[in-house]
Amino acid sequence: MPSASNLHATNEIAVSVRGLGLTYKTSIDQRPTLKARAKSLGRGGKHVRIIQALDDVNLDVEYGQVLGIIGTNGAGKSSMMRVIAGIIPPTKGRIEVFGSVSTLLALGVGFNPSMSGRDNVFLGGLAAGMSPGEIEHHFQEIADFSELGEAIDAPMRTYSSGMFSRLAFSVAATVRPDILIVDEALSTGDAKFKEKSLNRMKELRSDDRALILVSHAMATLREVCNDVVWMHKGKLVLRGKPNETIDAYQEFLQVGKSAALDEDV
Amino acid sequence: MSAPLQVYEPFRAGLPPLIRYWKSLWSRRTFISEYSRSELREQHFASLFGQMWLVLNPLLLSAVYFLLIVIIGGSSDVTRYVHLTATLFLFYLVANSLTGGVKSITAGQRLILNTAFPRIMLPISAVVIAISKFIPTLFVFFIIRTVIGVPYTWEMLWAFPVLLITIFLALGLAITISCINVYFRDIASFLPYLTRTLLYLSPILYEASALKPRLLAIEAFNPLFPILDSWSRTLVHGQAPQGSSLLTGLAWALGIFLIGTYFFLSREREFAVRL
Repeated sequence: MPSASNLHATNEIAVSVRGLGLTYKTSIDQRPTLKARAKSLGRGGKHVRIIQALDDVNLDVEYGQVLGIIGTNGAGKSSMMRVIAGIIPPTKGRIEVFGSVSTLLALGVGFNPSMSGRDNVFLGGLAAGMSPGEIEHHFQEIADFSELGEAIDAPMRTYSSGMFSRLAFSVAATVRPDILIVDEALSTGDAKFKEKSLNRMKELRSDDRALILVSHAMATLREVCNDVVWMHKGKLVLRGKPNETIDAYQEFLQVGKSAALDEDV
Repeated sequence: MSAPLQVYEPFRAGLPPLIRYWKSLWSRRTFISEYSRSELREQHFASLFGQMWLVLNPLLLSAVYFLLIVIIGGSSDVTRYVHLTATLFLFYLVANSLTGGVKSITAGQRLILNTAFPRIMLPISAVVIAISKFIPTLFVFFIIRTVIGVPYTWEMLWAFPVLLITIFLALGLAITISCINVYFRDIASFLPYLTRTLLYLSPILYEASALKPRLLAIEAFNPLFPILDSWSRTLVHGQAPQGSSLLTGLAWALGIFLIGTYFFLSREREFAVRL
């Protein structure tokens, strides 16, 4: 992901989503096996369920924007991020992406738990299309930021969940793409690391970069974002200033400003 | 990744734009080599002999099967042993591609759900791993062959096209089976029996020429039969392989590769929601 700095002027469109619809079929059965398929023949061949994940979503993200995305579980937030990153093709509509996207790279790290953290960072980066030189260039910074020390060479199955997400966040925050998508990768880690990653998020805000944060941590979003979108059941409900949108969302949830919402970073 | 504009639209059924696909695959070739290297390193990481297992494995394997031939077949012909090692090692190139390939997509779940890349990289990596395991066995074979004193001939150069056809077939099989496993997870459990059956149907524990005419029909259903027969002819007996065997082998390899790849490419965008 070559960091194409200063290529994008502020307010230039980074991502344009038009009439996006996403439906997908999942098997009714837990695991797609022959037995399950044979059983489904018995009930008239119905072995898939159609899920409407996104329904006619229109969204523009501009450079210089820090967009927060909120919504209940199953609102389609992660699905939309995956479509923007090109991982899942849309069923309807058109998505234009101007610039390089960090393709949720952070979560791709650790795909093989028996390999070391170092190997996983390398392989995740290579799969995302980075050159070995680029990864080499960023590696020391990633290792330092994650504060894993010698554990970086230990198999990832030995990592605690905190270490895991520290490494994931370090990858996302160190490689500097034009469009950075962070999907709930911030929510674990100890207080010290949370503070550190929050600061890094603020550093990453710049005029020639677009940031998209999917999070349930309302306090963070209020602090970091300059625009928030609220999604519900595959539709875009509201978009506006962080405080207004989040207040409306919290009112909708009828939980008010309870401590549970603000606590997580 | 430096492409300034990427457009994602609904995919019509069928193949993605092949030139773009190939470019994005080619730009990630280091992933394939890096992945196979770390996978190999990790597989023998905790064992006492480490990387030595790459040579020990084929030696022990051939010893075990030789024991079987001597006890059941009552034969202790040395060329028989040379034939066994040659064909067994090549067979394991295909078998390892299958066992590595079958779970390559389902095991790469984390990567597939979070990164956009040509999915076909994963079964290809499985085949590269199988090839890296095959190369040391080739050295073992030539040492055995030289020690036993089988003469070398120019016709042995035919081994190169035979090997190429085998790799092609292995690729086709790995790609096909990795895709099938996304839809029918049972395949992974069937696979050991499938490869075992294939082993007995192939001219490995016996020579193709020793087969009863009545049983020759299995030749028509086993894609590995013509390849292993040619491999044994050229490497063990030092003769040129039969043209018809080479062509049949090539037809099998091409057929499986093309059908499997078509199947894979037209389905792979759906993998993310199927895992």
